[in-house]
Amino acid sequence: MRDFKTVFAFEFKTQMAKRTAIVTTLVIMIIVLLVTSLPRIISLFSGGGDDQGLPQSAISGAGYVKSEGEAQALLETILGKDAPSYPDREALVKALNDKEVEVGFVVNPEDLSYEALYQDKSMEDRRDMQFGEILTSHKREKLMVEKGLSAADYQDIQSANAEGTTTILGQNSMSNYMITFLLMLLVYMIVLIYGSSVSSIIAREKDSRTMEILITSTRPTQLIIGKVMAAGLAAVIQFGFIILAGVVGFQLNKSTYPPEILMMVSGSITTPYLLTYLFFTITGFILYLFLYAALGSTVSKMEDLPSATSLVQFLFIAGYILASFTANIPNSAIAVAGSIIPFTSVMVMPLRVGVSTVPTAELIIAGVLMIAFVVFFAYLSIKIYRWGSLNYGNKTKLSRIIKEALKHK
Amino acid sequence: MKLEVQNIKKSFGEREILHGISFAVESGRAMGFLGRNGAGKSTTIRCLMDVFRQDSGQFLLDDKVFEPRKMRIGYLPEERGMYQKNAVISQLVYFAMLKGASKEEATKSADYWVDRFSLNDYRNKKLETLSKGNQQKIQIAQAFLNEPDILILDEPFSGLDPVNSQVFKDIIAEFVKQGKLVIFSSHQMSYVEEVCDDVTLIHDGNIVLSGDLDQIKQEEGRGKLYLSMPDMDQNELSNQIKKAFPALAVIPWEDGLVLDTKGEDLQGGLLNWLADMNRPIQQFGAFEPSLTDIFIEKVGEKE
Repeated sequence: MRDFKTVFAFEFKTQMAKRTAIVTTLVIMIIVLLVTSLPRIISLFSGGGDDQGLPQSAISGAGYVKSEGEAQALLETILGKDAPSYPDREALVKALNDKEVEVGFVVNPEDLSYEALYQDKSMEDRRDMQFGEILTSHKREKLMVEKGLSAADYQDIQSANAEGTTTILGQNSMSNYMITFLLMLLVYMIVLIYGSSVSSIIAREKDSRTMEILITSTRPTQLIIGKVMAAGLAAVIQFGFIILAGVVGFQLNKSTYPPEILMMVSGSITTPYLLTYLFFTITGFILYLFLYAALGSTVSKMEDLPSATSLVQFLFIAGYILASFTANIPNSAIAVAGSIIPFTSVMVMPLRVGVSTVPTAELIIAGVLMIAFVVFFAYLSIKIYRWGSLNYGNKTKLSRIIKEALKHK
Repeated sequence: MKLEVQNIKKSFGEREILHGISFAVESGRAMGFLGRNGAGKSTTIRCLMDVFRQDSGQFLLDDKVFEPRKMRIGYLPEERGMYQKNAVISQLVYFAMLKGASKEEATKSADYWVDRFSLNDYRNKKLETLSKGNQQKIQIAQAFLNEPDILILDEPFSGLDPVNSQVFKDIIAEFVKQGKLVIFSSHQMSYVEEVCDDVTLIHDGNIVLSGDLDQIKQEEGRGKLYLSMPDMDQNELSNQIKKAFPALAVIPWEDGLVLDTKGEDLQGGLLNWLADMNRPIQQFGAFEPSLTDIFIEKVGEKE
């Protein structure tokens, strides 16, 4: 236990002092803060404050070719009385070229058809469409009046909708999908980043022959568990900061979020989901860390590490793809199998719990299997680590390594 | 303390590396473990340190099974390595704590050895920023942490300059004086001769020689005489002696000849013969081989 604490403290301190980890965490935190503040940032740049006093239909920065009668009155209403007018299309084009106006309109007074002119049009500029919608609305209203209906009748027809509510007894996969998918992405990142970190720490110790000093001073069990737990805690802290940045950003900018997003967030994070997520994430993460640690100790040189860990990377990525694939069919046979097998249940089970109702028996079976796998692979990892400390040089097949490692006293 | 290596056998695959080796080391004496490359020195040391598990045989310390992790042992493996990205002091403290020291003891011990090897300027530097020689000193310092009772050093002198070798020899001498048990393997015979009281020579996984170095030298020189005469070349002298004493085995040696009497009492006859020759004698007396001579004789002749 004493040695475990020593190994844990040393490895944890080493992990936390890594400059790259600190910088990466800070950069991701800033990105998360920026992303969660996007609605506020967009509202700041959309100039909403200045437009408050203008009529709803006013389109700013526009000019038009002077028209007559009803068309002229409409143009003044839509574009504002102060909007510059030009005698003909040619003059309007010149004004656009000279950047006097950003957008120009030419309206045919007979049928209210129009032409919108831009010098350059940005992706988000919708002024031409807005103009068209207002003209269309006016044209329809006029037609209704001509057919004997009043303007009020027209408004009533427009607003007539069948009202209804939807009651979801289980999970709303529409609203939960985004959050569960984001949390799954987080697990994906944690496992890949820290898994590689643990395997390279061990491979480097072997490559630099530090391993021989370590195993003559303490037992491999203390070394492996100490390293895995230290990496695990470092990951929790690093990603805790990232989640914290997300929560802070969300809370600060909540008021600027569209209601659909607010509904997605508040609807998804229920206590059962959170507990399932935490259980499968933590145990699955530890399972993968042990696998990475074991594979890290099978190589003699750092350059052999990527090929040695490719098997576990493949296994994990397969779990990720399976989870993404089964999000739309959460109760299919493949999804159920994926949520029970520990290598994939780390991601598939929280996703299933997020988007559907999972039977308790399946949750229990998956949980028990996960714990059994963690214990077995921790044992195997310690054995392989011990085997690795004795074997340098030629590459050995994984099946042979496991056989020899388990045989070793 | 007495450490006994008893009938150790070790194979890798089908190949047996150690063929039942036995020897003993006592505290207060330094033992040099010698052998050519691939003779089995590092394998023996690794079995002793429980890096490898021997196939048969046992290691005993004062008649009890030797358990390295329960002892205070300073171990310097043949292939050294430490954490390149960590500060010197933090990893020395870590290694001392793994050997059972408390944080305070570990820090004190690490500071002492950093100072002893004149590495104070590098105390808080990352290992990778140090020169190769200084890295080597840190690796050696690691073995001395936490006042070990037993020192097991595999090729400790390799890569050390003469000044640092002297510092290292002094430290080993101190440990021996304090009654510690010291084993080290080396190819550098001069260092072994200077530092060790006992030697064990291993060849092809068998012990060829083991015991007190002075006694070994005497035994290896028993019945042999050394003669050199400045005004006669080796061939002429050799021919004349062979003619006068056909029973003698004559071996050219440095500037003179080693005369192996093969147990026969020829010393008086030789003296008379030299007197009759009436020519200057540079050296005549009992022959004591150096450790290098013994090493080459025991190991080289088997090639």
